[in-house]
Amino acid sequence: MKDTLNEQISALVDDELDAAEQALLLRQLARDESLRRQFARYQLVSDALKDSLPERIDPDFHLRIQAALQDEAAPHAAAAGTHLGRLFRPLAGLAVAASVAVVAVLSLQSVRETAPQSAPVVASAPAPADYIRAEGSPPAALPATPARDLDAYLVNHNEVAVNRGMRGMLPYMRIVGQGEQPGSQEAAE
Amino acid sequence: MRPLLLALLLCCSQAVAADAARQWLHGMSEALKTLDYDGTFVYQHDGRLDVMRIVHRVDDGGRRERLVSLTGSAREVLRDDRSVTCILPDNKSVMIGRSRSPQPFPVVPDDLATISRYYRLQDKGDDHMIGYRARIIAVIPKDEFRYGYRFWIEQDSRMLLRSDLTGEDGSTIEQVQFTALDVGIDIPVSDLRPSLTGDDYTWHRQTEINAAQDSAYGMPGWMVRELPAGFMLTDFGRRRLHEQGGDAEHMVFSDGMATVSVYIEQALPDTDAFTGLSTMGAMNAYGALVDGYQVTVVGEVPPATVRMIATSVQRQGAS
Repeated sequence: MKDTLNEQISALVDDELDAAEQALLLRQLARDESLRRQFARYQLVSDALKDSLPERIDPDFHLRIQAALQDEAAPHAAAAGTHLGRLFRPLAGLAVAASVAVVAVLSLQSVRETAPQSAPVVASAPAPADYIRAEGSPPAALPATPARDLDAYLVNHNEVAVNRGMRGMLPYMRIVGQGEQPGSQEAAE
Repeated sequence: MRPLLLALLLCCSQAVAADAARQWLHGMSEALKTLDYDGTFVYQHDGRLDVMRIVHRVDDGGRRERLVSLTGSAREVLRDDRSVTCILPDNKSVMIGRSRSPQPFPVVPDDLATISRYYRLQDKGDDHMIGYRARIIAVIPKDEFRYGYRFWIEQDSRMLLRSDLTGEDGSTIEQVQFTALDVGIDIPVSDLRPSLTGDDYTWHRQTEINAAQDSAYGMPGWMVRELPAGFMLTDFGRRRLHEQGGDAEHMVFSDGMATVSVYIEQALPDTDAFTGLSTMGAMNAYGALVDGYQVTVVGEVPPATVRMIATSVQRQGAS
């Protein structure tokens, strides 16, 4: 049973399952954490195999993959050691982001702010004017992002809007965006 | 005689200008879908600021793109011809859905006519930014039910350099501005991979359900009685948005520029219903309970518009 499941996960990674099998397996994945880890490992291996010679080889990830693969006798294990791309990279551009943020703050005045115009405050509960609360909902700590329940709708709607729109995938910035207050030291909780 | 001639000339030149503006928009839309690019931009709304990176590549394998936050937690969205994956570290979740193939803009030839009926298109002249020559194109709504736009379009590649979304009073609600942009360069495949595995995350899969008989185009069993002028039903389907509960009926309306989704599903007895307005920058959502069903309207339109639409949703056959 376990081998069949492994085969299925491997097939899922390589997109060899039909729609029904895929749906079934994904439901299982949603419920089982260890299965998801396995999926992630297989995906790593699959990516590694498909990658061409990398610009850089990160020795740490080589070790991570070796360690991960030792948990099971994955058939691809032998080949994985030879091709390793930059499967993960630390978030690039943090230094860039800092300098960019300085530039952006200077032009911040051009964007309408609903927040008070006083000096930037380290994040606490935003002023009520920042957000329009859902009517009838109990007053709670106002989140920096919309209610978690709406994520599914936003994601689904975004795909439709992006499909019909003229700005590429930029509308997804509303999901990716976190809304850092300028000058704040830490993200709003 | 003379004033008539002048009026006619003015009309013609305006029409020509609007046509030119439409060409710029069309070029911009194509550029974003077909070129290879890697850029960093600042996204501002509600006095908040985010820096993000977007990478886009088209090759024999199809289209691949990635949007990732460079500030705060590493939220990102990856998109290719088959699926969309949203990785959200804040609530440790991954959402996967089927991606839709990009439509050409305008989506249907009628869109151009529709857009001109409800928006004024204007060529605002030249500008310079981040070392590029840009053309400013304004899209001005003719009523208060939609937002306005201003696009800075790079004159050679037609790439979008900056995009302002404006509200009814003309103020800027949301702004996207590139601070660095490379176009037509070689994009390494590794730049299109996620920076997180989604290990220890909860995975959510959104699926399309094969529409049942009553989902013939335009006859979904529910109706939306109030829409701003020009909004037409453009798509309909059933979606599985959440793991718990049933499917949602999903109607999509568009006026050629803005898109609004209406989701209708049975309200879950043990969860809080979403009612009222929720705003995040340019996106507005309005929830209402109708006959034990949860109605959720989402779109890049002003709050009054989502409210108007949501509160007008009715069961077909209801008085």
